[in-house]
Amino acid sequence: MAFYENTIIAKQDLAEKDLNSIKDKYNEIINKSSGKVIKIEKWGLLNLAYKIKNYKKGFYIHYKFEGNDKTLNEINKKIKIDGAIIRHLTVKYNKLDTKNEYFKKDK
Amino acid sequence: MKKRNKKFQRKNSNSLNKLSLFQKNDGRFSKKCPLSIKNAPVIDYKNIALLKKYVSDNGKIISSKITSVSFGKQKKLTKEIKKAKVLGLL
Repeated sequence: MAFYENTIIAKQDLAEKDLNSIKDKYNEIINKSSGKVIKIEKWGLLNLAYKIKNYKKGFYIHYKFEGNDKTLNEINKKIKIDGAIIRHLTVKYNKLDTKNEYFKKDK
Repeated sequence: MKKRNKKFQRKNSNSLNKLSLFQKNDGRFSKKCPLSIKNAPVIDYKNIALLKKYVSDNGKIISSKITSVSFGKQKKLTKEIKKAKVLGLL
């Protein structure tokens, strides 16, 4: 088991309801495929530095979780099919720091 | 002997104490690495405020010769900057 961070960027023209359903969906996928979600961060609507699939803004959702290659395969598969997600990135860590939040809303 | 050595070193260490204009300026790039000190900021792809300092206006990574970042930290910086670029943060 190792620690991972996964960030997904969803389309900007989604309703709040859909966003919450996406958030819950991946939370469930990780938990079901022998993983464990430690923390979920919502970074909110941010400006993209460059256009991705003709979108200028995106909704960022950030997961910190523990899992193995099974979990990663499952997430990658589901994200590739998902039309609401523009881009994603998974990074492996030896240690997770859950204290620092770089994208807090009250700024 | 010891006294002489000390004097010699002091003269060398001062970059402004040059004999001629064409002498090389030794003290020019001797600034210490800003990311290797105590309580240095964390290099991470989420820490955009830090990464922006090491990227030019055109999005290029600035060389360590100019920013005087140590070799190991520069390697880490480039990796994190590239990750941030994938996510459209930089």
